[in-house]
Amino acid sequence: MITKAIQSYCNAVHHLVDFVGRSVGYIMPLLAFVVVFEVVARYFFDSPTIWAYDLSLFMFGYISALSGAYAQQKRAHINVDILYNHVRPKVRSIFNILSFSIALIFALIIIYMSIDKFYEAIEFNYRRQSEWAPHMHHFWVMMVVACGLLSLQLISDILLNAYFFVTGKKLIPNAPDTEEFTHGN
Amino acid sequence: EHNWRFANLYSRGTAYGELYENLGKNIEQMSAGKIKVQVLYSGEGVGSSGILGAVKSGLVTMGAPFQSMHAGELPAGVVEIGLPGGTDDVGELSTLFHEKGWDKVLKEAYGAQGLVWLDPYIQPPVYIITKKPINSVADFKGLKIRAPGAYGKFLRQLGASPVSLAWSEIYTSLSTGVIDGSIGSNMIDHRDGNHVEVAKYMYRLPLAGAQVLPIVVNRSAWNKLTPELQAIVSAATTIHAREQMTKSKLWESQAVAEMEAKGLKWSPEPSAEDKAAWKAAAASLWDEYAKSDKYSAQLIEILKKQ
Amino acid sequence: MGIELLTGVLLLCILVTFAMGAPVGLGLGGIAMIVGYMTWGDGIFNVIPTTLESTFFSFILLAIPLYIYMGQLLTRSGIGDAMFNASQMLIGKIRGSLAISVIVVCSMIGAMVGIIGAGIMTSGSIALKPMLDRGYDKRLALGVIMAGGGLGILIPPSVPMIMFASSTQTSVGRMFIAALIPALITIVLLITYVVVSCKLNPSKAPIGNDAHDEMTPKEKFRTGRDGLFSVLLITAVLGSIITGIATPTESGAIGVAGAVLLAIVFKRFKREIFESAGLSSALLVSVAMWIIFGATVFSNFHLLMGVQNMIAGFTQDLGLPPIGVIIMFQLIMLLLGFIIDEFIIVLICAPLFTPIAVSLGFDPIWFGILMILNIEIAVQTPPYGFALFYLKGIAPPDITMLDIYRSVTPFVLIKLFVLVLCMLFPDIVLWLPNKMMNG
Ligand code: NA
Ligand code: NA
Repeated sequence: MITKAIQSYCNAVHHLVDFVGRSVGYIMPLLAFVVVFEVVARYFFDSPTIWAYDLSLFMFGYISALSGAYAQQKRAHINVDILYNHVRPKVRSIFNILSFSIALIFALIIIYMSIDKFYEAIEFNYRRQSEWAPHMHHFWVMMVVACGLLSLQLISDILLNAYFFVTGKKLIPNAPDTEEFTHGN
Repeated sequence: EHNWRFANLYSRGTAYGELYENLGKNIEQMSAGKIKVQVLYSGEGVGSSGILGAVKSGLVTMGAPFQSMHAGELPAGVVEIGLPGGTDDVGELSTLFHEKGWDKVLKEAYGAQGLVWLDPYIQPPVYIITKKPINSVADFKGLKIRAPGAYGKFLRQLGASPVSLAWSEIYTSLSTGVIDGSIGSNMIDHRDGNHVEVAKYMYRLPLAGAQVLPIVVNRSAWNKLTPELQAIVSAATTIHAREQMTKSKLWESQAVAEMEAKGLKWSPEPSAEDKAAWKAAAASLWDEYAKSDKYSAQLIEILKKQ
Repeated sequence: MGIELLTGVLLLCILVTFAMGAPVGLGLGGIAMIVGYMTWGDGIFNVIPTTLESTFFSFILLAIPLYIYMGQLLTRSGIGDAMFNASQMLIGKIRGSLAISVIVVCSMIGAMVGIIGAGIMTSGSIALKPMLDRGYDKRLALGVIMAGGGLGILIPPSVPMIMFASSTQTSVGRMFIAALIPALITIVLLITYVVVSCKLNPSKAPIGNDAHDEMTPKEKFRTGRDGLFSVLLITAVLGSIITGIATPTESGAIGVAGAVLLAIVFKRFKREIFESAGLSSALLVSVAMWIIFGATVFSNFHLLMGVQNMIAGFTQDLGLPPIGVIIMFQLIMLLLGFIIDEFIIVLICAPLFTPIAVSLGFDPIWFGILMILNIEIAVQTPPYGFALFYLKGIAPPDITMLDIYRSVTPFVLIKLFVLVLCMLFPDIVLWLPNKMMNG
């Protein structure tokens, strides 16, 4: 029963994070386009935009934050794997539970602070300091979503490692961490 | 009893950095050690655009922010620092702040965000450096000039094209010609950025007469002080303001002399029409800024009455 | 808790979380928050919003996504490879020639970017796979990318140099020129090392299996043409900086546009390539930015607690001879590389150390170049170094951190050698700027 629940939770999170992660890839070409647009507008038409600077920074922030959960799912976040690669799978799952918990604490604190910042941004009408002065509130919503996804993914990873530690079996056939782990692209 | 962190925008060991260090030391001495102040310089835990937020949240207790960086958080600060076309007359500024009521409006504006606004100090004005001489205001037409926020809007009124760039790219961009000119937050900033190596001409009219900058304190930390200690901190900021005034003048002239030694030239003296065009461009901004929030509106209303 | 004890605790926590294999950025952020909560209280959480804004809204760091994307597009469309294929057609008979072309390409990338992250991740995107595919020793391949990518802050334009110059009131132009000879010496030494070590150990760098001899003239033409165009693309990106069309940060986007254009011209543009380049770039950008963010949260906490005062304390009452002081400064900066990034090292150390060096009679430009050379080493010495993390991010999955740690040794020694050389013979640094800028 509980196993089933965990299993379906992990599968659901996997698909959600995968979907968001893949979608974020489409911001890359848009980001490049905005910067090229600014260069062309400024150099060839002598009329730099007032929005490209902030818009490109927002896209940069969205890409960086939102892909964080996907990177965790793919085990693409950089780690120092020297000792890690040489311990028994059960020890490794303990290591994972501990380090993912530290990461989870971090992600939860970011969510907590971002919610605060969001309300502040609404209350005081916070904007960027540029002439264009776009709103800031959506950035904090995005951070909550990004770190929410990251937390869901971390919880899923902690559960899978805990299941492996207790039973010695994998709950999801191709779950990473426990034997070979896939990484990146 | 009170451990304070005081963040400013300058590097350790710079001339301005020392002034803030003195302020910290004065608070410690005058309070007989009851308030201990740890001064945080540029890069030491808080980014330059994060000072206001950090004081507000209490991450640092006291801060010397540069309001242009917080235009999106506290628009009235941009009016406070001095919109283009503002005066540089110290007496006039003092009346504006202390008699005409700017202090009350600003106390309220900062107070609404949990900040205590202490007496401001004055720093030298913003100037613009260009690669080619500006013989008349018409020469600004089509020039790409790095000028953020209010200064950008002002230059657009004169036909220039304001560009947004990171500070650390100004030098390279001037040298390759991505931009034709840049403002500096004052002459000292132009010198420190080595702009004169890649652009030779300083325009004679400052963008804003003088820059008025506040010291802000986190409200809950402030409320923990006894009235005597509050008076001591206020007194220390008054001493600091005086120091800023005398030292800034000296450092500004030193910076100009150093740049002149490296080949800085001045664009020709602007004509009467140029000065009028400059003023008109500035005045057109006031109404726009009055719209940004209610505190800005109140400040500009007072300003117009003057 | 005193700052010395806190620093000790934090270092210990770093070592433990690293040993457990925690994600570096998330781990550093988490430790800072946990230790911060215990020593400071929940007020320390407020470091998160300001740090988020200062890292995610840094226009300088925007070079990272733009250059990574350019690199990924070049690799996945095969244009990047074309450059190395062409170079192999010409000089493939020389052992280690591919690594040499890689060093040359890295130097060109170094002339485009001004920060370490963009340098290493772009060089790694384009040049790592070609070397590994051709059977190069992985340590040699990784080391070359690390050393070559690090040239980004030594070859102008360089953001840390601009920061050094402004916080010490020295000339940026002089700094840029002064760095040229040390950069050239580094490049020559890197190439020499590759040639010599391949001579001594031929298995490190296999020579092409004569595939080029079997190519039809048509294939040879295509290889040559593609190679030429990809070199032209790099030249165009450089050109857009030099002619003032774009800033170094923006020029990455020019490179992206050029790569897409080239791919279309060569009929290599496929939707899958476009999508996979976007996806893998987004992933790499995220990995880099979460490290930068987590590490900045960590160092901001440490700085708010006053670690910089401890460093400042070291500089007082030394009682060392002048050159001893300089050496000690270098050691302090190397040690700082364990806990903070390249920009913060400059921000803290430049204004603290330079006036002392100048008062001892040393030239500030010389001292600044030593600082840049030092930072290049600091960010690539294990266990903690941003260059190491960036390289791990860009490397294929079967490369472990141990591979990367092991790969750096000879290259760190080369850079250390250049540092000592410049320290002993200041003219290496000062001759060119004095010759070019006096008068
Ligand atoms: Na460079
Ligand atoms: Na290091």
